[in-house]
Amino acid sequence: MSGLSKSSLKMPVMAVLLVSLPFWVGNTYQLHIATLIGSYWVLICALNLAVGYTGILSIGHVALLSIGAYCYAILSGTYDLSPWFAAACSGLLGGLCGLLLGLPSLRLPGFYFAMATIAFSMMAMEFSLAQDDLTGGGAGLSVPPFPPPFDSPEGLYWLVLGFAAVVSFLSWNLVRFMWGRAMIAVRDSHVAASSVGVPIFRLKLSVFTFSGVAAGVAGALFASLQSYITPETFVFELGLFFFVCIVIGGRGSIWGPFLGTIILAALPELSGSLAHWGQFFYGVLLLLVVLLIPEGVGSAFVLLKEKLRPRKREKQVVNPDLQRLRAAIALQPSDDELAIPGQSGSSTLKPFKQRG
Amino acid sequence: MPGIEIDTVSKRFGGVLAVDEVSLNLQVGEIHGLIGPNGSGKTTLLNLLSGYYDLDGGTIKVDEHLLNDKSVQARVSLGVARTFQKPKLLESLSVLDNAMLGGWRDVQTGFMKTALSVGRTRKEERDLRDRAEEVLHGVGLGHLVHEQAGRLDHAEQRFLEIARSLCMRPKYILLDEPAGGLTEHEIEQLAVIVTTMRDVGLGVLIVEHHTDFVFRISDRVTTLDLGKRIACGAPDAVRNDPEVIRVYLGA
Repeated sequence: MSGLSKSSLKMPVMAVLLVSLPFWVGNTYQLHIATLIGSYWVLICALNLAVGYTGILSIGHVALLSIGAYCYAILSGTYDLSPWFAAACSGLLGGLCGLLLGLPSLRLPGFYFAMATIAFSMMAMEFSLAQDDLTGGGAGLSVPPFPPPFDSPEGLYWLVLGFAAVVSFLSWNLVRFMWGRAMIAVRDSHVAASSVGVPIFRLKLSVFTFSGVAAGVAGALFASLQSYITPETFVFELGLFFFVCIVIGGRGSIWGPFLGTIILAALPELSGSLAHWGQFFYGVLLLLVVLLIPEGVGSAFVLLKEKLRPRKREKQVVNPDLQRLRAAIALQPSDDELAIPGQSGSSTLKPFKQRG
Repeated sequence: MPGIEIDTVSKRFGGVLAVDEVSLNLQVGEIHGLIGPNGSGKTTLLNLLSGYYDLDGGTIKVDEHLLNDKSVQARVSLGVARTFQKPKLLESLSVLDNAMLGGWRDVQTGFMKTALSVGRTRKEERDLRDRAEEVLHGVGLGHLVHEQAGRLDHAEQRFLEIARSLCMRPKYILLDEPAGGLTEHEIEQLAVIVTTMRDVGLGVLIVEHHTDFVFRISDRVTTLDLGKRIACGAPDAVRNDPEVIRVYLGA
């Protein structure tokens, strides 16, 4: 889709920088922060499809993160199963919980759905506190690392980077083809989306389940990085943080929320001696973005370019080319094709015929 | 017999009977004009036909398929497309993206397959892009393919919405006041596009206040007043119908 293709040089530079990060980063603490941002990104990237592209306002994704984290900690720790198996289960369980949360609530309009996700994250928190034989209750659980070579800080960083790359790739594919257009249609106009046949609920459910799987996997990575988790690790503010990263980054792009995540996660660290001002900067930034660039930091460059060199479009008379129009519509569907009682989906349709 | 059969349909909003046992049929290869004063139920009838409202009575069939409780989306796959009084476009996307969205009913690759970008995703994308570009050039928006839809002027947005509908490979197309806000010249262009759609074999239903335009291009015209059908027939007959003149056209 427009805007993504221009970044042909951005990608390789970015890849080299990220892969070599453990070699040029200052100390292990900074590497820890980078790994943390990476595991957040696994979640945020997929959540962005829901929030930024489809307009599903989920504020409670921290619950899915905690479910993935506990699933990993319990299976690989308490039951001593393979960490890889445990991480896969985290993804599956996250997806399943996303599906079960989405089924009844995704028909709700925006803010009511946001409420449902808040309620869900509170329930997850209470559940993890109450079930102390399973989750360790308030005392928490210690989390085993991934097997070598992913047990070192560098190893875990590369593992997280790998997962982040995979989720980014999947998300990028989803947004640049027809599903991406359909998501934006659902976000901007239900009428437009349904008028072209987009199955709104099924699309929302697919996107939300996908974000659940990613959140579950992110939970496993996050837990392994933290090495100890308690219900306090998954405070509601963390869910809000994920949401704000996307809003500040800008909806309808992948780069924007990526920048947003880095800026917001690194901000408290960078403020250094002003650490207790961290929350303050966070608030100021949010306010500035909402007031000045409501489309997000990702759009700042575009806006700036527009300001400096405003594009003027010459009014050209619309002049239909009837030859081409006739040829283009002449791909008339035959009657047998129309006889298919199309469900709201599209999979029952036969391939369309080519012109000519 | 192929065609859209609207048979004595009714729609009630609270105490108001917005559409009162109206019948109308639309055949392939015809332009059917639907006129009437404000509040006569024209757009309501269109919304019943495309599934945004539920019927309170009567039946609607498309090529013998009963539509009554089919979803909006199911009607799309039966070949019914429509445009809106105020164009419903995705303003942040390009003109091409908007037109391509019309190709949704032909998307075969599911969510996961698209994510993995395997199978036919790329080929499908190319085909839909080609189709959309052809249609856009056809309606005269070829020079704006990569423009952002929100930057188009009113007439261009209308033509873009028509292009999106045509990308749906419709058999029937419902146009809700397509000439609204267009200049004389643009209405000419619209007339040429609409008659071309008819000539290629589409059934076109036009709701319109611009009566000269409707009478000129329509093969048949139906007139509504207060939710009831008061006339239906050839343009000349309807234009000279005393009842139509009394309630709508004026002396």
